[in-house]
Amino acid sequence: MKAVIRTKNLSKWYGNVLGLSDVSLEIEAGVTGLLGPNGAGKSTFLKLLTGQLKPSIGQVMIRDQNIWNNFPLFMRIGFCPEQDAFYEEMTGWEFLTRLLSLFAFSAEEVKAKAERALDFVELSKDKDRLIRGYSRGMRQRLKVAQAVAHDPEIIILDEPLNGLDPLGKRKVIQLIKEYKDAGKTVIVSSHVLPEIEALTRSIILLHQGKILAQGDIHYIRDLIDAHPHMISVACSDPRALAAHLVGEPSVLNIQFGPAPNAVVFETRNRDVFFSLLPRLIVEQAIDVEEITSPDDNLQAVFDYLVGK
Amino acid sequence: MTMTRNAVHSIFSFFFSIGRKARKTRVFFLIAGLPVVAALIIRVNQLFSPGTPVEGPEIFSNVIMAFNLQFLILVLALFYGTSVCSEELEGKTLTYLTTRPVAKSAIILGKYAASGVLLVLMVTASVILSFLILNIDRLFDFAAWTAMLKGLSVLALGLLCYMAFFTLIGTFLKKSILFGLFFSFGWENVVQYFPGSTQKFTIMHYLKSLLPAASTGSTGKLSFLLFRLEPSSAGAARATLLLLTAAFLGLACLVFSKKEYIFED
Repeated sequence: MKAVIRTKNLSKWYGNVLGLSDVSLEIEAGVTGLLGPNGAGKSTFLKLLTGQLKPSIGQVMIRDQNIWNNFPLFMRIGFCPEQDAFYEEMTGWEFLTRLLSLFAFSAEEVKAKAERALDFVELSKDKDRLIRGYSRGMRQRLKVAQAVAHDPEIIILDEPLNGLDPLGKRKVIQLIKEYKDAGKTVIVSSHVLPEIEALTRSIILLHQGKILAQGDIHYIRDLIDAHPHMISVACSDPRALAAHLVGEPSVLNIQFGPAPNAVVFETRNRDVFFSLLPRLIVEQAIDVEEITSPDDNLQAVFDYLVGK
Repeated sequence: MTMTRNAVHSIFSFFFSIGRKARKTRVFFLIAGLPVVAALIIRVNQLFSPGTPVEGPEIFSNVIMAFNLQFLILVLALFYGTSVCSEELEGKTLTYLTTRPVAKSAIILGKYAASGVLLVLMVTASVILSFLILNIDRLFDFAAWTAMLKGLSVLALGLLCYMAFFTLIGTFLKKSILFGLFFSFGWENVVQYFPGSTQKFTIMHYLKSLLPAASTGSTGKLSFLLFRLEPSSAGAARATLLLLTAAFLGLACLVFSKKEYIFED
């Protein structure tokens, strides 16, 4: 399959700070997940892809055309930025129709496309309200709407699921899958692994401005599963809970604290551990206040993968 | 070319629509209304002091025009001109514009035009109202109307020229307002009074050269504004102002197209 997006030795510095380093890759049609902890360089990469930043070294080619200052290419690209920024004194309808009018569509087309996009993100009822009065989720959906309203062939979404409630997330995930089925190219960034897992198998792992891994998500999942996980349980009787789990092969280590009623388990097999834990809690009638996974975030996983 | 013109028009409509309803516009509309308030006070004062020798047209020229020319258009142009670019950067909304199929120069020109029209409307409303208040007893004085319209055209030209300059400054300076304040109330307000050709390094010199009394050398009605002015010819002044406006805008488009803008987190 022919690459839609191609980057070659792409690097970006902000003064002395490295934003992205020597990224060469090809992205084909379908959904590609861009995964990395905060500060990994995801937004820099997406800004370079959308021509908002000029590469310090290397180049970005979209459909074999250089993107920098190539404004006609934006007929084919839709971009949902990460930042929560709007023309607050506009209504949702004005925002969408005014932006669509920049594509030189006819007035009827603008209206039809804006209605369809608002309908899709379920903002039709609120379209005449000022954006200033929108909730976080509504604002996020409006950002997605402006990215897809002109029916682009390449859709680039920077953390599109941020701030959405579960229903909103499902809706956006469904939209992205529809675009994939329609043969479009979608790039979605996130620092939350399950979000990306719900969308695609094809991922790019970014860390400290470099590509750490690229390919099928199962490969990454296997790496992550080999990483020992910490699970903290705050409960009425942490010692009793620990006593019952101490002999389990899936449990590598047990520590009490830092809170007086907390116990932290280290396991290499989260699935087995999480199948044991609820059963024990019920059998021993332990009151559980909270179960958290202190290192269950991408940063911890990345630190593990890079051997920190 | 047609595509760029359409893009400029679309951007113009976009920002004119925002500008009409913006809180900032209401605030500056009130500031632009200050001469109207001053005219009202003067008029009321005249009613209660019938012996006042100063006539409406003279007050209009020396107070209202002086305020508009020396202060109002500078302030309006400064805040609207620098915000053509900086507002998009500070509000982080630039992304929505630069990821559309429009040339970056169209963004600058369209937004500049939208702000320019808003400001010219503001100043026109203010000047006409002040004029009517001060000349209520001589509404059919053709010469007074002609002078007012000439003054208004000078103000409009000044607004557009200063705005173009501040638009340029806003495309490459982060602290463009500070620089603009220094330029407006430092450079422009001081150097225009320097003797000889030095005063020609200010925009104000060319604006004042276009005032009706500048060519005649009359120091009557515009004596305050024409203080120490060694006027250029009206044609040269007009051409210089238009050239400067075009040059500032051209440079602003060039800088905006070449420069990458990074949002501050």
